[in-house]
Amino acid sequence: MNANNQHSKLQLKNAANAALASILNLTLLPVIGFIALYLIYKKTTPNNIDHYHAVLGMKINIIAAFVLFVVSGLMILLGGFNSPWTWVYVISYFTIVHTAFIVIALWALVRSWSGDKLKSNQ
Amino acid sequence: MKYESQGIAKMYFIAAIGLFVGQILFGVTLGLQYVMGDFLFPAIPFNVARMVHTNLLIVWLLFGFMGSAYYLVPEESERELYAPWLAKLMFWVFLAAGVLTILGYLLVPYATLAEMTMNHLLPTMGREFLEQPTITKIGIVIVVLAFLFNIGMTILTGKKTVITLVLITGLIGLAVFFLFAFYVPDNLVLDKYFWWFVVHLWVEGVWELIMASLLAYVLIKVTGVDREVIEKWLYIIIAMALISGLLGTGHHFFWIGTPDYWQWVGSIFSALEPIPFFMMTLFAFNVVNKRRRDHPNKAAVLWALGTAVMAFLGAGVWGFLHTLAPVNYYTHGTQITAAHGHMAFYGAYVMVVLTMISYSMPIMRGQKAANERAQVLEMWSFWLMTVSMVFITLFLTGAGVLQVYLQRYSETPLPFMVVQDKIEIFYWLREVAGLVFLIGLLLYVYSFFAKGKEVEDIGAAVTS
Amino acid sequence: MRETFTKGMARNIYYGGAVFFFLVLIGLTVDTVKSIPKTDNRENLSEQVVAGKYLWEVNDCIGCHTLLGEGAYFAPELGNVYTRFGKSTDAIKGFIKSRPKTGIPGRRSMPQFNFTDEELEQIAQFLKYVDGIKIARDWPPNVQG
Repeated sequence: MNANNQHSKLQLKNAANAALASILNLTLLPVIGFIALYLIYKKTTPNNIDHYHAVLGMKINIIAAFVLFVVSGLMILLGGFNSPWTWVYVISYFTIVHTAFIVIALWALVRSWSGDKLKSNQ
Repeated sequence: MKYESQGIAKMYFIAAIGLFVGQILFGVTLGLQYVMGDFLFPAIPFNVARMVHTNLLIVWLLFGFMGSAYYLVPEESERELYAPWLAKLMFWVFLAAGVLTILGYLLVPYATLAEMTMNHLLPTMGREFLEQPTITKIGIVIVVLAFLFNIGMTILTGKKTVITLVLITGLIGLAVFFLFAFYVPDNLVLDKYFWWFVVHLWVEGVWELIMASLLAYVLIKVTGVDREVIEKWLYIIIAMALISGLLGTGHHFFWIGTPDYWQWVGSIFSALEPIPFFMMTLFAFNVVNKRRRDHPNKAAVLWALGTAVMAFLGAGVWGFLHTLAPVNYYTHGTQITAAHGHMAFYGAYVMVVLTMISYSMPIMRGQKAANERAQVLEMWSFWLMTVSMVFITLFLTGAGVLQVYLQRYSETPLPFMVVQDKIEIFYWLREVAGLVFLIGLLLYVYSFFAKGKEVEDIGAAVTS
Repeated sequence: MRETFTKGMARNIYYGGAVFFFLVLIGLTVDTVKSIPKTDNRENLSEQVVAGKYLWEVNDCIGCHTLLGEGAYFAPELGNVYTRFGKSTDAIKGFIKSRPKTGIPGRRSMPQFNFTDEELEQIAQFLKYVDGIKIARDWPPNVQG
């Protein structure tokens, strides 16, 4: 069920740290988390599990940033800052979609701990 | 089933599901009363229907917790239940007390019920969630004490595990904090302050211990992951639950006439309250990812994962949304609270009881897991109920945001009832989502009777 | 890293954290109970108000209304209703008294409770007392509750 054996300890540690940085960027430490993630990414080499998780984390966060901020920004721009309906959409949308990204990143973190990719590929 | 007395859980679970159906029927009634104000008026006014809705929830969750404990404790303690007859007797006492109380709400005006049950001797009625007549409250205490005695003796004379110790701590806490239900001072500020010692310290305190231990138990059973690992997680989750939740009580002390420091204490500690739920999700994901076997009861695994995620979403995220004092200043007592309440109760407590039922019911019926068709139907009901609850929450959040804006935030605030008319569309949508939830629930009940191909036990075969 | 964090440590955090924060909660509770006489309007807690609170309870008013933001969200906030009704107990009594027995077609309506004049006065006095409780930042944000 896990592919632990083929990765070095350092790679596993980097992968776990990358996944952790990704989730921190999504929650407690936006921006700082991403910088940490980028620094881990620099240490990795392609085709390794740590590289995979660093890239995955950056992808999740870039997509999240786009989907959350750009779409919310558009809602505010189109709906108007002083319209209550704008905030109905923005708050509901932001909360649920943000949580969805956190849950995905959580699964990624758990997968990094077992040295696996996000999806199991037998 | 290793011990015969575990089977007592079955009657508790059947009663729980029955009352759950009743709760939801009254839920959709309430939803309709929100948009058709005269529906069933004056026969069943809103407050009566709501009392039935919330009290049925509490009673059936207690049935669920007790049933879960009766199932889990003998197996963990490696002995039969201390007094099976007492568990059976208390079942009927509790069911009778519950049903009579609900009938009392429905058949006579509440003030008459208060008179009939001699509320004036020890007034405890008429506070939210604690509307039960004093005599019912005394009945609850007796049932819970008998239950704790039974469970406690089983644990004390048997093998002690971390799961049973955490569970009994949570259950003792449940009993102890319920005693505040009997303290109703004339001074409204004191009244409200100590009312939260029941309500908050239950759902954001000791119930989390019960929830975490039940979830840990099911995860051990369905994943086969090492107990040491699970117990470590369990400790750290409940540690965070109490560290954040005890002082997190302060988020209820913002606007009831209590000192200003609660604004800081309540905001800071309740901002930490999502952490235990976050960790519960991490925990459930982690042990399922590291599972040593694929348990044939896929539905139970789905419920377990669903519980963790939905508790995080409902209790964690939706709680955090309005818990900081500057935000709560605007949102306190609006539909935002209702949104959070619905998803948190469903995600944390309803789902953990259904997880336990999903895992144990087939075993009590002599199977390892329900047949394939029954499991598929159960999983459909999972998705119907869970997704509709997400929508109920979203619609109530929409209603709440609009309500806050028009009634509280705007420079020309509108009266309550005017605002209610303006947010009616959300109440209609919520009602539709509520009906889908009801369909999901009926499907859930049906899944217990569905016939189909029995599952094969793939057992401990799959490892890396 | 995760291997060095043992079950024993987790258990100690649980016991230590629970006991410590429970004691802090008790300490803050003692302090709160000592300091609320400044805010809780107890000087106006007359027998009439106490009787009004009892009526509030045995008619399950909290099942529709909020009181200081707690309760059901089906009917208006009543913690500041005395102010909203122009600081008039007569207005409150008049409203409760005038509710139609069979409701209002298609709309929400408060039930007719058939209170005596004495009871009406008690309820009105209770709501007046609640309005006098000093709340942080003068919650609710405005008179609409």
